Amino acid sequence: MDFSLTEDQVTFKKSAIEFAEKVLNKGAKEREKNREFNQDGWEKCAEFGVQGLSMPEKYGGLGMDIMTCVVTMEALGYACRDSGLLFAINSHIWTCESPIQKFGSEYQKDKYLPSLCNGSLKGGHAMTEADSGSDAFSMKCRAEKKGDRYIINGTKLFITNAPIADLLLVFAVTDPKKGFAGVSAFIVEKGFPGFSVGKPLELMGLKTSPIGEVILQDCEVPEENLLGKEGAGGAIFNSEMEWERSCLFATHVGAMAKDLEDCIRHVNEREQFGKPIGKNQAVSHKIAEMHVRLELSRLALYKVAWLKSQGKRAPVESAVAKLFVSESYVQNCMEALQIHGAYGYSTEMDFEKNLRDAIAGKIYSGTSEIQKNIIASLLGL
Amino acid sequence: MSILESLENYLLTEIAVGLGKKTLGPDEDLLELGIIDSLGLMKLISFMEEDFGISIPDEEVIPENFQSLNCMAKLVELQVQN
Repeated sequence: MDFSLTEDQVTFKKSAIEFAEKVLNKGAKEREKNREFNQDGWEKCAEFGVQGLSMPEKYGGLGMDIMTCVVTMEALGYACRDSGLLFAINSHIWTCESPIQKFGSEYQKDKYLPSLCNGSLKGGHAMTEADSGSDAFSMKCRAEKKGDRYIINGTKLFITNAPIADLLLVFAVTDPKKGFAGVSAFIVEKGFPGFSVGKPLELMGLKTSPIGEVILQDCEVPEENLLGKEGAGGAIFNSEMEWERSCLFATHVGAMAKDLEDCIRHVNEREQFGKPIGKNQAVSHKIAEMHVRLELSRLALYKVAWLKSQGKRAPVESAVAKLFVSESYVQNCMEALQIHGAYGYSTEMDFEKNLRDAIAGKIYSGTSEIQKNIIASLLGL
Repeated sequence: MSILESLENYLLTEIAVGLGKKTLGPDEDLLELGIIDSLGLMKLISFMEEDFGISIPDEEVIPENFQSLNCMAKLVELQVQN
Protein backbone atom coordinates (compact mmCIF):
# COMPACT_ATOMS: atom_id res chain seq x y z
CA MET A 1 0.00 0.00 0.00
CA ASP A 2 1.30 3.44 -0.90
CA PHE A 3 -0.60 6.38 0.54
CA SER A 4 1.77 9.10 -0.60
CA LEU A 5 0.10 11.91 -2.48
CA THR A 6 1.18 12.95 -5.96
CA GLU A 7 2.32 16.49 -6.64
CA ASP A 8 -1.00 17.16 -8.43
CA GLN A 9 -2.97 15.91 -5.42
CA VAL A 10 -0.98 18.13 -3.05
CA THR A 11 -1.55 21.14 -5.33
CA PHE A 12 -5.26 20.43 -5.67
CA LYS A 13 -5.61 19.99 -1.93
CA LYS A 14 -3.98 23.37 -1.34
CA SER A 15 -6.21 25.07 -3.87
CA ALA A 16 -9.32 23.49 -2.27
CA ILE A 17 -8.24 24.83 1.14
CA GLU A 18 -7.67 28.33 -0.28
CA PHE A 19 -10.99 28.21 -2.12
CA ALA A 20 -12.96 27.14 0.98
CA GLU A 21 -11.29 29.70 3.26
CA LYS A 22 -11.90 32.54 0.82
CA VAL A 23 -15.35 31.69 -0.46
CA LEU A 24 -17.35 29.40 1.84
CA ASN A 25 -17.04 30.82 5.33
CA LYS A 26 -18.43 34.32 5.03
CA GLY A 27 -21.73 34.54 6.96
CA ALA A 28 -21.44 30.95 8.24
CA LYS A 29 -22.41 31.88 11.81
CA GLU A 30 -25.53 33.74 10.69
CA ARG A 31 -26.59 30.90 8.43
CA GLU A 32 -26.12 28.47 11.32
CA LYS A 33 -28.37 30.61 13.53
CA ASN A 34 -30.98 30.93 10.82
CA ARG A 35 -30.76 27.30 9.65
CA GLU A 36 -30.09 28.67 6.20
CA PHE A 37 -28.69 26.64 3.32
CA ASN A 38 -25.70 28.26 1.60
CA GLN A 39 -26.98 28.45 -1.98
CA ASP A 40 -24.15 30.77 -3.02
CA GLY A 41 -21.60 28.36 -1.52
CA TRP A 42 -23.25 25.48 -3.40
CA GLU A 43 -22.88 27.37 -6.68
CA LYS A 44 -19.29 28.36 -5.93
CA CYS A 45 -18.45 24.73 -5.11
CA ALA A 46 -19.95 23.67 -8.43
CA GLU A 47 -17.82 26.27 -10.25
CA PHE A 48 -14.76 24.91 -8.46
CA GLY A 49 -15.75 21.40 -9.57
CA VAL A 50 -16.65 19.81 -6.24
CA GLN A 51 -20.01 18.36 -7.34
CA GLY A 52 -18.37 16.78 -10.38
CA LEU A 53 -15.11 15.68 -8.75
CA SER A 54 -15.41 11.98 -9.51
CA MET A 55 -17.59 12.26 -12.61
CA PRO A 56 -16.27 11.63 -16.14
CA GLU A 57 -15.29 14.72 -18.11
CA LYS A 58 -17.91 13.95 -20.80
CA TYR A 59 -20.58 14.91 -18.26
CA GLY A 60 -18.72 18.03 -17.11
CA GLY A 61 -16.92 16.38 -14.21
CA LEU A 62 -13.23 16.49 -13.31
CA GLY A 63 -12.75 12.72 -13.61
CA MET A 64 -10.70 12.53 -10.41
CA ASP A 65 -9.61 9.22 -8.87
CA ILE A 66 -10.93 8.27 -5.45
CA MET A 67 -7.77 9.25 -3.56
CA THR A 68 -7.99 12.78 -5.01
CA CYS A 69 -11.68 12.90 -4.04
CA VAL A 70 -10.82 11.87 -0.48
CA VAL A 71 -8.00 14.39 -0.26
CA THR A 72 -10.24 17.16 -1.64
CA MET A 73 -12.99 16.37 0.85
CA GLU A 74 -10.38 16.38 3.60
CA ALA A 75 -9.27 19.84 2.44
CA LEU A 76 -12.86 21.14 2.42
CA GLY A 77 -13.47 19.67 5.88
CA TYR A 78 -10.34 21.43 7.09
CA ALA A 79 -11.13 24.85 5.71
CA CYS A 80 -14.94 25.12 5.43
CA ARG A 81 -16.76 26.04 8.63
CA ASP A 82 -20.15 25.20 7.11
CA SER A 83 -20.31 21.44 7.61
CA GLY A 84 -24.00 21.43 6.65
CA LEU A 85 -23.04 22.56 3.16
CA LEU A 86 -20.41 19.83 2.88
CA PHE A 87 -22.91 17.26 4.14
CA ALA A 88 -25.45 18.36 1.51
CA ILE A 89 -22.85 18.21 -1.26
CA ASN A 90 -21.59 14.78 -0.24
CA SER A 91 -25.13 13.39 -0.12
CA HIS A 92 -25.71 14.85 -3.58
CA ILE A 93 -22.56 13.22 -4.96
CA TRP A 94 -22.49 9.81 -3.31
CA THR A 95 -26.18 8.98 -2.95
CA CYS A 96 -27.49 10.36 -6.24
CA GLU A 97 -24.94 11.40 -8.83
CA SER A 98 -22.50 8.53 -8.33
CA PRO A 99 -25.11 5.71 -8.42
CA ILE A 100 -26.63 7.19 -11.58
CA GLN A 101 -23.16 7.19 -13.15
CA LYS A 102 -22.49 3.63 -12.03
CA PHE A 103 -25.87 1.95 -12.53
CA GLY A 104 -27.70 4.30 -14.88
CA SER A 105 -28.68 3.82 -18.52
CA GLU A 106 -27.11 6.08 -21.15
CA TYR A 107 -30.41 7.97 -21.27
CA GLN A 108 -30.33 8.55 -17.49
CA LYS A 109 -26.67 9.60 -17.49
CA ASP A 110 -27.12 12.01 -20.40
CA LYS A 111 -30.27 13.46 -18.89
CA TYR A 112 -29.12 14.00 -15.30
CA LEU A 113 -25.35 13.92 -14.87
CA PRO A 114 -24.36 17.18 -16.61
CA SER A 115 -26.79 19.20 -14.45
CA LEU A 116 -25.83 17.33 -11.28
CA CYS A 117 -22.15 18.06 -12.04
CA ASN A 118 -22.65 21.77 -12.67
CA GLY A 119 -24.86 22.08 -9.60
CA SER A 120 -27.95 23.31 -11.41
CA LEU A 121 -29.72 20.18 -10.13
CA LYS A 122 -29.51 19.02 -6.54
CA GLY A 123 -29.90 15.37 -5.59
CA GLY A 124 -30.08 13.00 -2.69
CA HIS A 125 -31.63 9.66 -1.87
CA ALA A 126 -34.72 8.58 0.03
CA MET A 127 -34.26 5.34 1.96
CA THR A 128 -35.13 5.81 5.64
CA GLU A 129 -38.72 5.49 6.87
CA ALA A 130 -40.33 6.00 10.26
CA ASP A 131 -40.14 2.27 11.05
CA SER A 132 -37.09 1.28 8.99
CA GLY A 133 -33.84 2.97 9.96
CA SER A 134 -31.02 0.54 10.66
CA ASP A 135 -33.21 -2.27 9.31
CA ALA A 136 -33.36 -0.33 6.06
CA PHE A 137 -34.68 -3.08 3.81
CA SER A 138 -37.79 -3.62 5.92
CA MET A 139 -39.26 -0.54 4.28
CA LYS A 140 -42.97 -0.23 3.57
CA CYS A 141 -42.74 2.02 0.50
CA ARG A 142 -44.10 0.10 -2.51
CA ALA A 143 -43.66 0.50 -6.25
CA GLU A 144 -46.09 -1.20 -8.57
CA LYS A 145 -45.66 -1.45 -12.32
CA LYS A 146 -48.70 -0.19 -14.26
CA GLY A 147 -48.22 0.01 -18.00
CA ASP A 148 -45.20 2.11 -18.84
CA ARG A 149 -44.79 3.55 -15.34
CA TYR A 150 -44.36 2.67 -11.71
CA ILE A 151 -46.75 3.93 -9.06
CA ILE A 152 -44.94 4.56 -5.77
CA ASN A 153 -46.63 4.91 -2.40
CA GLY A 154 -44.88 5.56 0.88
CA THR A 155 -43.33 8.16 3.18
CA LYS A 156 -39.62 8.70 3.68
CA LEU A 157 -38.13 10.42 6.70
CA PHE A 158 -34.86 12.21 7.55
CA ILE A 159 -34.04 12.70 3.89
CA THR A 160 -30.97 14.85 3.37
CA ASN A 161 -31.52 17.62 0.81
CA ALA A 162 -35.24 16.78 0.47
CA PRO A 163 -36.39 20.42 0.85
CA ILE A 164 -33.96 21.62 -1.86
CA ALA A 165 -33.61 18.55 -4.08
CA ASP A 166 -34.63 18.49 -7.73
CA LEU A 167 -34.41 14.72 -7.84
CA LEU A 168 -34.06 11.87 -5.37
CA LEU A 169 -33.20 8.22 -5.67
CA VAL A 170 -36.21 6.66 -4.03
CA PHE A 171 -35.95 3.08 -2.77
CA ALA A 172 -39.17 1.07 -2.85
CA VAL A 173 -40.24 -2.56 -2.71
CA THR A 174 -41.16 -4.05 -6.08
CA ASP A 175 -41.27 -7.69 -4.93
CA PRO A 176 -42.26 -8.15 -1.26
CA LYS A 177 -41.52 -11.91 -1.37
CA LYS A 178 -37.79 -11.36 -1.87
CA GLY A 179 -36.88 -9.26 1.16
CA PHE A 180 -33.89 -6.98 0.51
CA ALA A 181 -33.61 -8.43 -3.01
CA GLY A 182 -37.07 -7.12 -3.79
CA VAL A 183 -36.06 -3.48 -3.35
CA SER A 184 -35.59 -1.27 -6.41
CA ALA A 185 -34.29 2.28 -6.91
CA PHE A 186 -36.04 4.99 -8.90
CA ILE A 187 -34.94 8.41 -10.07
CA VAL A 188 -37.81 10.63 -8.96
CA GLU A 189 -38.01 14.27 -10.02
CA LYS A 190 -39.68 16.76 -7.71
CA GLY A 191 -42.21 17.62 -10.43
CA PHE A 192 -43.51 14.08 -10.86
CA PRO A 193 -47.22 13.78 -10.01
CA GLY A 194 -47.73 12.56 -6.43
CA PHE A 195 -44.33 13.71 -5.11
CA SER A 196 -44.22 16.20 -2.27
CA VAL A 197 -41.89 17.29 0.52
CA GLY A 198 -42.86 18.02 4.12
CA LYS A 199 -41.47 20.73 6.37
CA PRO A 200 -37.69 20.80 6.98
CA LEU A 201 -36.79 18.95 10.19
CA GLU A 202 -34.99 20.71 13.04
CA LEU A 203 -31.94 18.81 14.20
CA MET A 204 -29.32 19.18 16.92
CA GLY A 205 -26.56 19.94 14.40
CA LEU A 206 -25.93 20.24 10.67
CA LYS A 207 -28.35 23.14 10.81
CA THR A 208 -27.46 24.51 7.37
CA SER A 209 -28.23 21.19 5.70
CA PRO A 210 -31.93 20.95 4.78
CA ILE A 211 -33.41 17.61 5.84
CA GLY A 212 -37.05 16.63 5.56
CA GLU A 213 -39.84 14.21 4.87
CA VAL A 214 -40.79 12.96 1.42
CA ILE A 215 -44.32 11.88 0.62
CA LEU A 216 -45.05 9.66 -2.37
CA GLN A 217 -48.77 9.37 -2.97
CA ASP A 218 -49.55 7.46 -6.14
CA CYS A 219 -46.37 9.03 -7.43
CA GLU A 220 -46.00 8.32 -11.15
CA VAL A 221 -42.49 7.43 -12.26
CA PRO A 222 -41.79 6.58 -15.93
CA GLU A 223 -40.31 3.06 -16.33
CA GLU A 224 -37.17 4.55 -17.87
CA ASN A 225 -36.45 6.08 -14.45
CA LEU A 226 -35.92 2.69 -12.80
CA LEU A 227 -32.21 2.72 -11.87
CA GLY A 228 -30.55 -0.58 -12.76
CA LYS A 229 -32.81 -3.60 -12.85
CA GLU A 230 -35.74 -4.43 -10.60
CA GLY A 231 -34.31 -5.77 -7.34
CA ALA A 232 -30.99 -3.96 -7.74
CA GLY A 233 -31.84 -1.50 -4.94
CA GLY A 234 -29.84 -3.45 -2.35
CA ALA A 235 -26.69 -3.47 -4.48
CA ILE A 236 -27.11 0.21 -5.35
CA PHE A 237 -27.58 1.14 -1.70
CA ASN A 238 -24.59 -0.90 -0.50
CA SER A 239 -22.39 0.55 -3.22
CA GLU A 240 -23.51 4.11 -2.30
CA MET A 241 -22.72 3.50 1.35
CA GLU A 242 -19.20 2.20 0.64
CA TRP A 243 -18.41 5.39 -1.28
CA GLU A 244 -20.11 7.71 1.17
CA ARG A 245 -18.34 6.09 4.12
CA SER A 246 -15.03 6.87 2.41
CA CYS A 247 -15.49 10.32 0.98
CA LEU A 248 -18.02 12.02 3.26
CA PHE A 249 -16.02 11.04 6.33
CA ALA A 250 -12.88 12.52 4.80
CA THR A 251 -14.43 15.91 5.65
CA HIS A 252 -14.35 14.81 9.32
CA VAL A 253 -10.65 13.98 9.07
CA GLY A 254 -10.05 17.48 7.69
CA ALA A 255 -12.08 19.05 10.49
CA MET A 256 -10.16 17.01 13.08
CA ALA A 257 -6.88 18.31 11.65
CA LYS A 258 -8.10 21.92 11.89
CA ASP A 259 -9.36 21.45 15.46
CA LEU A 260 -6.05 19.91 16.50
CA GLU A 261 -4.08 22.82 15.05
CA ASP A 262 -6.34 25.27 16.91
CA CYS A 263 -5.89 23.30 20.14
CA ILE A 264 -2.09 23.17 19.84
CA ARG A 265 -1.96 26.93 19.22
CA HIS A 266 -4.27 27.57 22.17
CA VAL A 267 -2.42 25.39 24.71
CA ASN A 268 0.88 27.00 23.76
CA GLU A 269 -0.50 30.55 24.08
CA ARG A 270 -2.91 30.23 27.00
CA GLU A 271 -1.13 30.64 30.34
CA GLN A 272 -2.49 29.66 33.74
CA PHE A 273 -0.51 29.39 36.98
CA GLY A 274 2.42 31.08 35.22
CA LYS A 275 2.93 28.67 32.33
CA PRO A 276 1.28 27.58 29.08
CA ILE A 277 -1.47 25.07 29.84
CA GLY A 278 0.11 22.69 27.31
CA LYS A 279 2.97 22.15 29.75
CA ASN A 280 0.56 20.19 31.94
CA GLN A 281 0.45 16.49 31.06
CA ALA A 282 -3.30 16.47 31.67
CA VAL A 283 -3.54 18.76 28.62
CA SER A 284 -0.61 17.56 26.50
CA HIS A 285 -1.84 13.96 26.71
CA LYS A 286 -5.21 15.08 25.36
CA ILE A 287 -3.37 16.63 22.41
CA ALA A 288 -1.36 13.45 21.86
CA GLU A 289 -4.52 11.33 21.93
CA MET A 290 -6.26 13.68 19.48
CA HIS A 291 -3.29 13.33 17.14
CA VAL A 292 -3.36 9.52 17.38
CA ARG A 293 -7.07 9.46 16.54
CA LEU A 294 -6.53 11.84 13.61
CA GLU A 295 -3.63 9.85 12.16
CA LEU A 296 -5.42 6.49 12.49
CA SER A 297 -8.62 7.94 11.03
CA ARG A 298 -6.71 9.21 8.02
CA LEU A 299 -4.95 5.87 7.53
CA ALA A 300 -8.22 3.94 7.76
CA LEU A 301 -9.81 6.17 5.11
CA TYR A 302 -6.78 6.11 2.83
CA LYS A 303 -6.77 2.31 3.00
CA VAL A 304 -10.37 2.22 1.77
CA ALA A 305 -9.52 4.69 -1.00
CA TRP A 306 -6.50 2.61 -2.00
CA LEU A 307 -8.53 -0.63 -2.07
CA LYS A 308 -11.22 0.98 -4.19
CA SER A 309 -8.62 2.49 -6.51
CA GLN A 310 -7.43 -1.10 -7.08
CA GLY A 311 -10.98 -2.03 -8.06
CA LYS A 312 -11.43 -4.06 -4.89
CA ARG A 313 -14.44 -4.31 -2.64
CA ALA A 314 -13.98 -2.82 0.84
CA PRO A 315 -17.05 -3.66 2.97
CA VAL A 316 -15.15 -4.37 6.20
CA GLU A 317 -12.59 -1.63 5.69
CA SER A 318 -15.20 1.04 4.92
CA ALA A 319 -17.22 0.00 7.99
CA VAL A 320 -14.05 0.14 10.10
CA ALA A 321 -13.18 3.59 8.72
CA LYS A 322 -16.70 4.95 9.16
CA LEU A 323 -16.92 3.66 12.72
CA PHE A 324 -13.47 4.82 13.76
CA VAL A 325 -13.58 8.25 12.09
CA SER A 326 -17.03 9.15 13.39
CA GLU A 327 -16.31 8.02 16.95
CA SER A 328 -12.88 9.70 16.90
CA TYR A 329 -14.32 12.97 15.61
CA VAL A 330 -16.78 13.12 18.50
CA GLN A 331 -14.03 12.36 21.01
CA ASN A 332 -11.73 14.98 19.50
CA CYS A 333 -14.53 17.56 19.52
CA MET A 334 -15.15 16.85 23.21
CA GLU A 335 -11.45 17.25 23.99
CA ALA A 336 -11.14 20.43 21.91
CA LEU A 337 -14.11 21.91 23.77
CA GLN A 338 -12.65 20.91 27.15
CA ILE A 339 -9.19 22.27 26.30
CA HIS A 340 -10.75 25.65 25.43
CA GLY A 341 -12.77 25.69 28.66
CA ALA A 342 -15.54 28.30 28.80
CA TYR A 343 -14.43 29.66 25.42
CA GLY A 344 -14.92 26.20 23.96
CA TYR A 345 -18.45 26.01 25.37
CA SER A 346 -19.28 29.45 24.01
CA THR A 347 -21.10 29.77 20.70
CA GLU A 348 -18.60 32.48 19.77
CA MET A 349 -16.21 29.71 18.83
CA ASP A 350 -16.92 26.69 16.62
CA PHE A 351 -16.17 23.87 19.06
CA GLU A 352 -19.68 23.36 20.39
CA LYS A 353 -21.07 23.50 16.85
CA ASN A 354 -18.48 20.98 15.69
CA LEU A 355 -19.51 18.62 18.50
CA ARG A 356 -23.19 18.88 17.57
CA ASP A 357 -22.34 18.23 13.92
CA ALA A 358 -19.95 15.37 14.78
CA ILE A 359 -22.55 13.43 16.76
CA ALA A 360 -24.64 13.07 13.61
CA GLY A 361 -21.77 11.14 12.04
CA LYS A 362 -22.32 8.31 14.51
CA ILE A 363 -25.86 7.95 13.19
CA TYR A 364 -26.04 8.65 9.46
CA SER A 365 -24.64 6.27 6.80
CA GLY A 366 -25.34 3.44 9.24
CA THR A 367 -25.02 3.86 12.99
CA SER A 368 -21.87 2.85 14.87
CA GLU A 369 -23.75 -0.23 16.06
CA ILE A 370 -24.60 -1.26 12.49
CA GLN A 371 -20.95 -0.83 11.46
CA LYS A 372 -20.00 -3.23 14.26
CA ASN A 373 -22.66 -5.69 13.03
CA ILE A 374 -21.20 -5.51 9.50
CA ILE A 375 -17.64 -5.98 10.75
CA ALA A 376 -18.56 -8.88 13.04
CA SER A 377 -20.66 -10.57 10.40
CA LEU A 378 -17.94 -10.34 7.76
CA LEU A 379 -15.45 -11.73 10.26
CA GLY A 380 -17.57 -14.87 10.34
CA LEU A 381 -19.77 -14.26 13.37
CA MET B 1 -15.53 -30.01 -5.28
CA SER B 2 -17.72 -28.45 -7.99
CA ILE B 3 -18.74 -24.78 -7.93
CA LEU B 4 -22.25 -25.82 -6.95
CA GLU B 5 -21.05 -28.02 -4.08
CA SER B 6 -18.65 -25.37 -2.85
CA LEU B 7 -21.42 -22.74 -2.81
CA GLU B 8 -23.86 -25.09 -1.09
CA ASN B 9 -21.28 -25.99 1.53
CA TYR B 10 -20.52 -22.33 2.26
CA LEU B 11 -24.18 -21.36 2.46
CA LEU B 12 -25.02 -24.23 4.82
CA THR B 13 -22.06 -23.66 7.13
CA GLU B 14 -21.83 -19.85 7.12
CA ILE B 15 -25.10 -18.26 6.01
CA ALA B 16 -27.96 -20.65 6.76
CA VAL B 17 -26.66 -21.59 10.21
CA GLY B 18 -29.48 -22.33 12.64
CA LEU B 19 -32.13 -22.71 9.93
CA GLY B 20 -32.05 -26.50 10.14
CA LYS B 21 -31.21 -26.96 6.44
CA LYS B 22 -29.02 -29.95 5.59
CA THR B 23 -29.11 -29.57 1.82
CA LEU B 24 -30.08 -26.91 -0.70
CA GLY B 25 -31.68 -27.71 -4.02
CA PRO B 26 -29.88 -26.25 -7.04
CA ASP B 27 -32.97 -24.26 -8.05
CA GLU B 28 -34.37 -23.55 -4.60
CA ASP B 29 -35.24 -19.83 -4.26
CA LEU B 30 -32.85 -18.74 -1.52
CA LEU B 31 -34.12 -15.16 -1.53
CA GLU B 32 -37.80 -16.03 -1.10
CA LEU B 33 -36.86 -18.53 1.63
CA GLY B 34 -35.02 -15.73 3.43
CA ILE B 35 -31.79 -17.76 3.55
CA ILE B 36 -29.75 -14.87 2.15
CA ASP B 37 -30.21 -11.44 3.72
CA SER B 38 -28.29 -8.26 2.90
CA LEU B 39 -25.40 -8.99 5.30
CA GLY B 40 -25.34 -12.61 4.20
CA LEU B 41 -25.03 -11.46 0.61
CA MET B 42 -21.99 -9.32 1.48
CA LYS B 43 -20.35 -12.36 3.08
CA LEU B 44 -21.28 -14.57 0.16
CA ILE B 45 -19.81 -12.16 -2.39
CA SER B 46 -16.54 -11.95 -0.43
CA PHE B 47 -16.41 -15.76 -0.34
CA MET B 48 -17.14 -16.10 -4.07
CA GLU B 49 -14.51 -13.52 -5.00
CA GLU B 50 -11.84 -15.12 -2.83
CA ASP B 51 -12.63 -18.78 -3.37
CA PHE B 52 -13.08 -18.63 -7.13
CA GLY B 53 -10.59 -15.81 -7.78
CA ILE B 54 -13.15 -13.63 -9.50
CA SER B 55 -14.39 -10.08 -9.23
CA ILE B 56 -18.14 -9.50 -9.12
CA PRO B 57 -19.08 -6.02 -10.32
CA ASP B 58 -21.76 -4.21 -8.29
CA GLU B 59 -23.94 -4.14 -11.40
CA GLU B 60 -24.12 -7.96 -11.25
CA VAL B 61 -25.36 -8.00 -7.66
CA ILE B 62 -28.97 -8.46 -8.70
CA PRO B 63 -31.57 -11.03 -7.57
CA GLU B 64 -31.40 -13.17 -10.72
CA ASN B 65 -27.71 -13.85 -10.05
CA PHE B 66 -28.21 -14.90 -6.41
CA GLN B 67 -31.65 -16.45 -6.43
CA SER B 68 -30.44 -20.06 -6.42
CA LEU B 69 -27.28 -22.14 -6.38
CA ASN B 70 -27.57 -22.64 -10.14
CA CYS B 71 -27.80 -18.87 -10.73
CA MET B 72 -24.72 -18.26 -8.56
CA ALA B 73 -22.77 -21.04 -10.29
CA LYS B 74 -23.60 -19.50 -13.68
CA LEU B 75 -22.41 -16.10 -12.44
CA VAL B 76 -19.13 -17.63 -11.23
CA GLU B 77 -18.58 -19.42 -14.54
CA LEU B 78 -19.25 -16.20 -16.45
CA GLN B 79 -16.86 -14.17 -14.31
CA VAL B 80 -14.17 -16.87 -14.55
CA GLN B 81 -14.44 -16.66 -18.36
CA ASN B 82 -14.15 -12.87 -18.19
